[in-house]
Amino acid sequence: MIQFAAVNKYYGDFHVLKDINLKIEKGEVVVVIGPSGSGKSTMLRCINRLESITDGKLTINNTEVNDKKTDINQLRRNIGMVFQHFNLYPHKTVLENITIAPIMVLKQTKEEAEKTAMYFLEKVGIPDKANSYPSQLSGGQQQRVAIARGLAMKPDIMLFDEPTSALDPEMIGEVLDVMKALAKEGMTMVVVTHEMGFAKEVADRIIFMDHGQILEQAKPAEFYANPKEERARLFLSRILNH
Amino acid sequence: MDFAGALSGDHLKFLFNGFMVTLYIAFISIVLSFIIGIIIGTLRYAKIPVISKVLALIVETIRNLPLLLIIFFTYFALPEIGIKMSITAAAITALTVFESAMLSEIVRSGLNSIDKGQIEAARSSGLTYIQTLSKIVMPQALRRMVPPIVSQFISLLKDTSLAVIIALPELMHNAQIIYAQNINYVIPIFILVSVMYFIVNYGLSLIARRLESRQA
Repeated sequence: MIQFAAVNKYYGDFHVLKDINLKIEKGEVVVVIGPSGSGKSTMLRCINRLESITDGKLTINNTEVNDKKTDINQLRRNIGMVFQHFNLYPHKTVLENITIAPIMVLKQTKEEAEKTAMYFLEKVGIPDKANSYPSQLSGGQQQRVAIARGLAMKPDIMLFDEPTSALDPEMIGEVLDVMKALAKEGMTMVVVTHEMGFAKEVADRIIFMDHGQILEQAKPAEFYANPKEERARLFLSRILNH
Repeated sequence: MDFAGALSGDHLKFLFNGFMVTLYIAFISIVLSFIIGIIIGTLRYAKIPVISKVLALIVETIRNLPLLLIIFFTYFALPEIGIKMSITAAAITALTVFESAMLSEIVRSGLNSIDKGQIEAARSSGLTYIQTLSKIVMPQALRRMVPPIVSQFISLLKDTSLAVIIALPELMHNAQIIYAQNINYVIPIFILVSVMYFIVNYGLSLIARRLESRQA
């Protein structure tokens, strides 16, 4: 479904992504971990072309993401994204946040879009907040709205860029629960996170990155029990033993 | 000081006419420069090759010239190259050119102040650049722009008095004619003129404050 083939990316002289080769299948939940600055988020953001790649080939369902002929807006409809800082539109209500893209991009009627929005708000557990503004919600609630906003486009893929890193500890659980439920329903998910518990429980595959490279790919049980790479071992010991 | 003589019925009517000219010129210039300022500010924000650079050069040039010079130029220099205008048209043109440049900077910095995450969220949901700008960035930016835009409008209203230099019959011009007749009229007329400017401009800033508190 998502395929990186020999992808490189530079910021000027800085080599951010080094020879990335990665294939993600439909329905797979892939969790990307690694120290900060390792290129995890950059790699994720390449998938919907928030970042462009320098060379190599990146395809989604056999469509080349960076091809000039690719209609990027068409491609993005199909890829939901959840950000670290939620990025809800502060001037719009929760309902408007969720319905704007279905109405403007998918040309749904307002009624149709609102029905879908309410369905997903129920799903993330906050239908009563439909008419609130983002500033009236807690961080956890805002992130759940952001997930509902992504789902309302009925995408095939959901990208999560450190979705719990900006949350107070007691709100992390409610967001992870929504993500777990989504994973169980068979959504294709790529998740950049530091939540090792989530990775262990939900991931089909762990990707460990450092210095712009994918150093290790493994099933979570394997990876946590016996990381092959020295740097992965070091990273895990730092994260798990504190 | 001669309050009774200075503020006679005829004089008040004459001042009132001048004030109407002031408000008329200011109103037209405000509307025009608001529209042009938004267009230029947005084009510069969008970083369109060539166009944005050319606009930057024009805006920077105008912003760094005194308004008085622009008024002079419009009325005295343009006819030399075949562009003749009435006093009113010249005043409106000069004010609009100057204020559009000022407003475009307010618009541009307002747009720039919106978090890039907003744009990423909108674009990643499939909205086009234009849709993102008009539905997500511009509405948020406009709210932030209200206070500086209103204070620019207040400046504009006061700056109309500079058009006295090309004999536009606005408030200051008419005031001058009255107090030129009699030295004892100077202070009463100045007091009245000050009150007239103050009421309108203070009214504008009260409206701005209300708009600000409503969105807070």
